[in-house]
Amino acid sequence: MSAPAREAAPAPAPDTPDQPPARRRSASHTRLWGWLLLPPAAWMLIFFVSSIVIVVLLSFGHVGDNLRPVFGSSLDNYRQLWNEVYLTVFVRSIVYALVTVVCCLLIGYPVAYTIALHGGRFKTVLIASLVIPFFASYLIRMYAWSTLLSDEGLVNQLLAKLGVSQGVKFLNTPGAVIAGLTYGFVIFMILPIYASLERMDLSLIEAGKDLYHGPLRTFLSVTLPATRAGMLGGILLVFLPSLGDFVSAQLLGGPGTYMIGNLIQQQFFEGQNAPLGSALTVVLMAALVVFMVFYLRATDREQRET
Amino acid sequence: MTSSHRFDPSISRRGLLGGALGLGATAALAGCGFSGGGAAASGSAATSASLAPAAKAQIDGDLVYFNWADYIEPSIASGFKKEYGVKIIETNYDSYAGMMAKLNSGNQYDFVTPGSKEVAELRAAGMLQRIDKTQLKNADQVFGVSPYFDNPWYDPNSDYSVPFTMYLTGIAYRKDKVTNMTGSWNDMWDEAAKGKIFVLDDADEAIGMSALKLGLDINTTNPDDLSKIQADLLSQKPLLRGYSTDDVNNMAGGNAWIHHMWSGDFLVLVTNTVKDPQNYGFIAPKEGTPFGNDTYAIPANAQHPGTALVFIDYLLRPENIDKQINYLGYPMPTKNGAATFAALSKDYPGTQITVADLTKPNVFKTQTPAGKAARDSMWTTVKAS
Repeated sequence: MSAPAREAAPAPAPDTPDQPPARRRSASHTRLWGWLLLPPAAWMLIFFVSSIVIVVLLSFGHVGDNLRPVFGSSLDNYRQLWNEVYLTVFVRSIVYALVTVVCCLLIGYPVAYTIALHGGRFKTVLIASLVIPFFASYLIRMYAWSTLLSDEGLVNQLLAKLGVSQGVKFLNTPGAVIAGLTYGFVIFMILPIYASLERMDLSLIEAGKDLYHGPLRTFLSVTLPATRAGMLGGILLVFLPSLGDFVSAQLLGGPGTYMIGNLIQQQFFEGQNAPLGSALTVVLMAALVVFMVFYLRATDREQRET
Repeated sequence: MTSSHRFDPSISRRGLLGGALGLGATAALAGCGFSGGGAAASGSAATSASLAPAAKAQIDGDLVYFNWADYIEPSIASGFKKEYGVKIIETNYDSYAGMMAKLNSGNQYDFVTPGSKEVAELRAAGMLQRIDKTQLKNADQVFGVSPYFDNPWYDPNSDYSVPFTMYLTGIAYRKDKVTNMTGSWNDMWDEAAKGKIFVLDDADEAIGMSALKLGLDINTTNPDDLSKIQADLLSQKPLLRGYSTDDVNNMAGGNAWIHHMWSGDFLVLVTNTVKDPQNYGFIAPKEGTPFGNDTYAIPANAQHPGTALVFIDYLLRPENIDKQINYLGYPMPTKNGAATFAALSKDYPGTQITVADLTKPNVFKTQTPAGKAARDSMWTTVKAS
């Protein structure tokens, strides 16, 4: 993906001779781009910003007499959240999301590294074969896992036939939820790391080998720092959706694996308590923004250093 | 242990595939949010519904259909499309609460299948259209058959709904794994099946299970009762494999030895899902079970109420009623419904329901907002702990 960008970079210098007309053209270009940006901006405003505004406003409301949400200005919903049960769920979700990030790094980095450095002419095919399964709905894939891994499902039947085990309980455990999250989001770790490896100057590795000898030291002091931006991006892209996910816990989890996403879903649907669900959503969004700021500051530092 | 039923992709009718689809819908709903003040919207809907003349049974467009997933016998849907030359635009829900959330946020459907409690709520909010029974050629299949459904508690005179299926909630178990069933709700707390027990992921059903075990009212909103139920449900939690409405798959996949289950889903499991039905049993616990029924209804804001009426009439044809009962596993309070269902359920007396059962107190009723909030917050605490 980054290959064309790399080639394009040294190219720009076509119409430098006639500066004034170019500048005029660029001014009208800017205006044109401005107009072209209007529809997407309006779309974002109507469907994205407005729904967030509604959620925020609703989080101060309550449930009316006919079980429908009513706007208001009370902090009751937030007060309700301040109890042991909700805090446990928040902490559990953060732990699951962090473990998922670590798993994705451990899986994603070697995969990206192998494809980028040793994929040769199959690189594109390999990346495509990783991406294509992700076109199928996340839900459907989770559902398939739950069928395959059930106590008398295909995997356990196979294990029994091989005489390996008398049946492994895969499903309805915290491990299953984290495995589901890892499976669901690992691609978001692989792609940015792959991109940063692609962008990296490979002669650096050779220089590193000359300088440090061992491949491990070369990796730790040359390759790893060079792909830090990709890893940070991957960590964020995996962490944020994992923290808010409810599908994995719903389909693969057990009685003790409730996550924030499940709590929110429960309030909007079964509980029909949209105001409380909104308050939970606002708190979740606030947590996500905090992590996002950390990321932005980290990448900012990164850019200043390089 | 034998056979290939394990990963049979059959889906619980009432339960889960809908789950998956419903989950998708959640995302969509979360995006749209609730615009408009609920009270104002319902007020205007109420007036327009009571003033508007009831629709005539004539095709006025494609059918926008909203139901549990896989909750219609497939040849009925295709037969209707063929006979009337219309499309069926299908949306599914995975819980009544999900259905209510989508209706309350203003989505338009021509045909929905609310439960009795939801009919009461929708009717009170003016969100249903009156159904003129003289427009239904097959009305005599279901009306004038039982006094209960001619004037049910949730919809006086059945003005706004047509009775659909009846159900009870009991306990399904694996006869080859569990040998100590006692016929009581205590079986849901069976230490011997630890880690192999599922409770329905449904606030009313979970509360109902515990309330019946403790000898309390299934509709209780009393704080003392609720704290007893909460303690009882929490004491059960270490024994559980999960909270789930995917009852058919949990049983068929071997994850469950004991499952809090809807009667019809159990019949679907044994009549057309597993290859070893002799290994599965179902009991209606002796303390009593919750009973309920579904209905057909037309929302007040339906765009094609005429088509919806034609469709309901089509569903009431005797041959279609028989198909539905055999496919869904639930009896219907129709002329021949009891006989058809008796043949289907003869080996499983626990799944049998009669109209008389619905007159018992164990029917989930509408609660006040405060009462509902108390029940829901208790249930959330149980699940999140």
